[in-house]
Formats: sequence, structure tokens, C-alpha cells
Amino acid sequence: MVKQFSIFLENKPGRLSSVIDLFERNQIRVLAMGIAEAGNYGIVRCILDAPEKAAEVLRDANTAVNLVEVVIIDMKDLHNAVKVLGEKGINVDYAYTMDMGRIVIKVDDEPKAKKVLSESGIRTY
Amino acid sequence: MLSSMSIQAYSMSKNQIKDLQERKLKEVVTRVYENSPFYRRRLKEAGVDITNFRPEDIRKIPFTTKTDLRDNYPLGLISVEKSKIVRMHASSGTTGNPTVVAYTKRDIDAWAELNKRCLEVCGVTSEDVVQVAYGYGLFTGGLGLHYGAERLGAKVIPASTGNTKRQLKLMKDLGSTVLACTPSYALFLSESAKEEGIDPKKDLRLRVGVLGAEPWSESTRKVLEEEFMQSAHDIYGMSELNGPGVAIECRKKNGLHVWEDHYFVEIIDPNTGEVLEPGEKGEMAVTTLEKEGMPLLRYRTRDITILDDEVCECGMAHARIKKILGRTDDMLKIRGICVFPSQIEEVISGFEGLTPFYQLVVDRDGPLDRLLVKVEVSEDFKSDRLTEIVDLQKRLEEELRDVLSISAAVELNEPRTLPRSEGKAQRIMDLRKI
Repeated sequence: MVKQFSIFLENKPGRLSSVIDLFERNQIRVLAMGIAEAGNYGIVRCILDAPEKAAEVLRDANTAVNLVEVVIIDMKDLHNAVKVLGEKGINVDYAYTMDMGRIVIKVDDEPKAKKVLSESGIRTY
Repeated sequence: MLSSMSIQAYSMSKNQIKDLQERKLKEVVTRVYENSPFYRRRLKEAGVDITNFRPEDIRKIPFTTKTDLRDNYPLGLISVEKSKIVRMHASSGTTGNPTVVAYTKRDIDAWAELNKRCLEVCGVTSEDVVQVAYGYGLFTGGLGLHYGAERLGAKVIPASTGNTKRQLKLMKDLGSTVLACTPSYALFLSESAKEEGIDPKKDLRLRVGVLGAEPWSESTRKVLEEEFMQSAHDIYGMSELNGPGVAIECRKKNGLHVWEDHYFVEIIDPNTGEVLEPGEKGEMAVTTLEKEGMPLLRYRTRDITILDDEVCECGMAHARIKKILGRTDDMLKIRGICVFPSQIEEVISGFEGLTPFYQLVVDRDGPLDRLLVKVEVSEDFKSDRLTEIVDLQKRLEEELRDVLSISAAVELNEPRTLPRSEGKAQRIMDLRKI
């Protein structure tokens, strides 16, 4: 099960850099990242290679952060995967690409999504 | 053990208070007429008949204002021989002269007694360790509570303001059970405790907070009582009326009891000066009944509140004022509408995931005033769904418009980015050029 970090940041120069810098200083690697913005703020969503440590350093830095369960699939399975999800009535809230030819998908029913995907022979991470 | 003087004050009936006030009003009016050239002139000009003074004549007396204190700087309003003055405090004079207040020995004694009463009403006893984290010095907060706690026989830590780490260390190591400071500093101490790895429930023994010198809300009380102390009480006062100790919240926390044997309270319309009925919102004007050095008649406090004259469930008959709703000087006029920061604070407190810290920025877009409310998200803010955040921002803007009758833009800020203050919170930035 993969946890995504959703970090609330003000939308101004230097804020993203300060977070990435924090990861760098603590040897935390960013495996995937997407940004959604609205006005003066935005959400940085990312997959990190050391989730426990990341949770700790973000907490110490007084960051507003949430952990969210996401599904990761291989890019080559994308077509099949979204078809299966759609047929089973599972909504994709958002998605973004990842290193190693993979894609991160946030769905509205994560356990069910994993189940139907694996039943269709699609590998999830 | 309660002193007999205090017991008498606590058990007075409405009628006893009324009789006492009527007698003392006549006394104080006569006293200032005889001893203060300023008031003699005022009273003569207003045609007040001193010899046959009746209680209702109080309404003929012109209000005393802060401007009167400034214009008669430094000691033009005293009503005793200068040699009888033993203490002078002064307020910060950001514009023009500071305001100076003067005390006789008897005034200092009465002030100590009133603060002792306030502490007792909050449940403080001689067994308590009282950390006074109000400023000591020209500001009256520190010394006032200090005298009260000492008179009560409690153990006092005169910590004064600032040096937050040391405050927390003393609080922990000396086992402070009572904290007296501004509510914003109490919030700051509570937050800092967490940062220092101090668990208030395990490591601290705070029972009572005696919090004043700025208006604060029920939501601040909730946060403090959940996270920092068992019972947070509002205390009211101002240097012109001795300092802290004018009014205090009892255990019922349904308004602040004014010590009516020392203070006569009227609620007036700030624009017309007309006296309002109990239950009506207006500016509080206070006549000091016991002050000797510098008695004030109908002093305009610029604090907005509501008077409740019913006997409290706690049993005390001293009338109550509601928590201060705002100051006439804090009152912002935005597009001609009166806005109080406390109204905005109440709205913010109704939303989850936001801290009690906020900032108001008023500026002008062409001819139109613009209000920006900067709020701060807490660390447990739900930060994944953008639509939910946008929705929260919209709901906050809608509710502000409902409450204020003008529209305001809301800006969400990251945790711990809005300014904290160790004294009175600086929450308003008025950038309008007039």
C-alpha cells in the first residue's frame, strides 16, 4: 500500500523549493510529484521513498500535510486499468506520472480499485 | 480563608449595592468638585447642583475621555495633594502625550484587594502558585495581579512577559497552577509548550488562567481549556480604573462581574452619549467610586459590551458585562459599516482546521474599501482535495458576509506563518490613505 503526501503550500516563489530542500537535506527522494493550485495556495502531492521519515520531518517543520492512499500502476496498463475502473463505477479523482514508467492514481474507493485491477491481471504497487 | 472585607463584597444584595452606589456617587462628585479644578469647572459648566445631588443627576455630568487625560497631562486630573500620590503609571503614548494615572496609598491597597477578589472568584487560594506573565512596569497588568496574588497569600512568580522558554521551564519546575497573562500569550505559550516537548496534561499543573488586557473569544477559551489549563477566566480592567481587577468571570463564565462597590457602570451609545438599557450593546462608561488619587467621572472606556443586571447563578449580585465585543478604536469602518475584529474571530472559530490566529488587511481599490481576512490553517488541516479547500474558503467568505454585512476576501496561509504577539495582538493593518 502506497501513501501519498498531500502538502498545503502558499502559492508563492520559494515555498516549493523549501519543501524539496527539506527532503534533500534528509535524504528523502521524490519518486513522483504533482501540483494543483487555486489562487494563493496549492497542494503538492508526492510519493516519497522514505515515508516514515518524511512524515516526521514534515511534522517538525509544522507543515499542513495529509497522507492519502493511492494506487500505482504501470503506464503500459493505463488503457486497461481506466477501462476496468470505469466499468466498475470507480471514479478517478486525479492522476500524475511517476518515475520508472508508472502512474499514480487517486480513486474514490481504493480497496475496491485494487481488487478489480488485480482480478483483471493488472499489477498495482 | 476569605477576608471579611471580601465576604462582605461577595454577599451584597442588589439593594445594598444600589444604596451604596448612590451614597458613594454623591461622595465622589463632591470630592472631585472640592479638590480638582478640572472637575469643578466641568461640573459648574454643566450646571450640576452638588449640594442637592441626586443619583439621577449623574446623567448631567459630561463624560471624561482619554483626550481629557492627555490635554491635562501629566497630573491635571488628580483630586488630592500631590504629596499624597505614591505611584504613577503611564500608558504608551503612540500619538502625543502618554496618559498618566496616579495612586494614593489607599488606592494601591484597594487595587490589591480587588485583584485578590478576582483571583478568589476564579477559585484561586493561598495554596496556588501564580505565574504572572503580564508586563511589569508602566503597564498595570503585572503589578495588579501580583498584588492580588500576594494579598491572597499565594506563591507568586513575577515572570513578566517574554522569554517563553524560561516561562515554560518555570511553569514546569515550580509547578505553576495559575497563569495570569494576555489570552494571545497564553495561546502562544500553549503552542510553544508542544514545540518544547512539554505535555501540559502530564508535565504542567495549570488549573486556572486569568486572562485579560485584550478581547478574546469563546473559541480561544475552548482551545486553552482543552489543551493547556482547566479553567480560563476573563479579567477586565484598564490603567485609568486602577488596572486589572475591575471585572472578572466567575465559575459560571456568563459575563464578567463588575465590582460595583468600586465602579459605577453605564452603557452608552458611542455616537450620541445616550444611556442604554441593560441588554443593549454600547460603550461602557465608568465612574470610580473609591479612587482617591485620580477619581474619574463617567470615563469613556471605548470598550463595547452589554450590561446584564440579573443576579448570577453563582449567587453574586454584582452586575455583569458581557465579554468585551470590541473597542470603539478597533472598530473598523469599512464601506461605512462598523466591523469588529471579534466578529471575524467568532466566524473563524466555527471552522475546523483553522488556528485562532488571523490578520485583517484593509485597503482601497479605487474608491472602494477592501477587506482581506488572512487565516491560518492548522497542521491537521485536510489538505488533499483542492475542491474541499476551495469550498471551505467560499463558505468562510459567505459567513463573513452574513455576519459583517460587507464582503471580505479570505486568504489561507500555511501553519505558523501569521504573526504571534507576546502582548496585545497586532491583528489589523489599515493601509487606507485618508
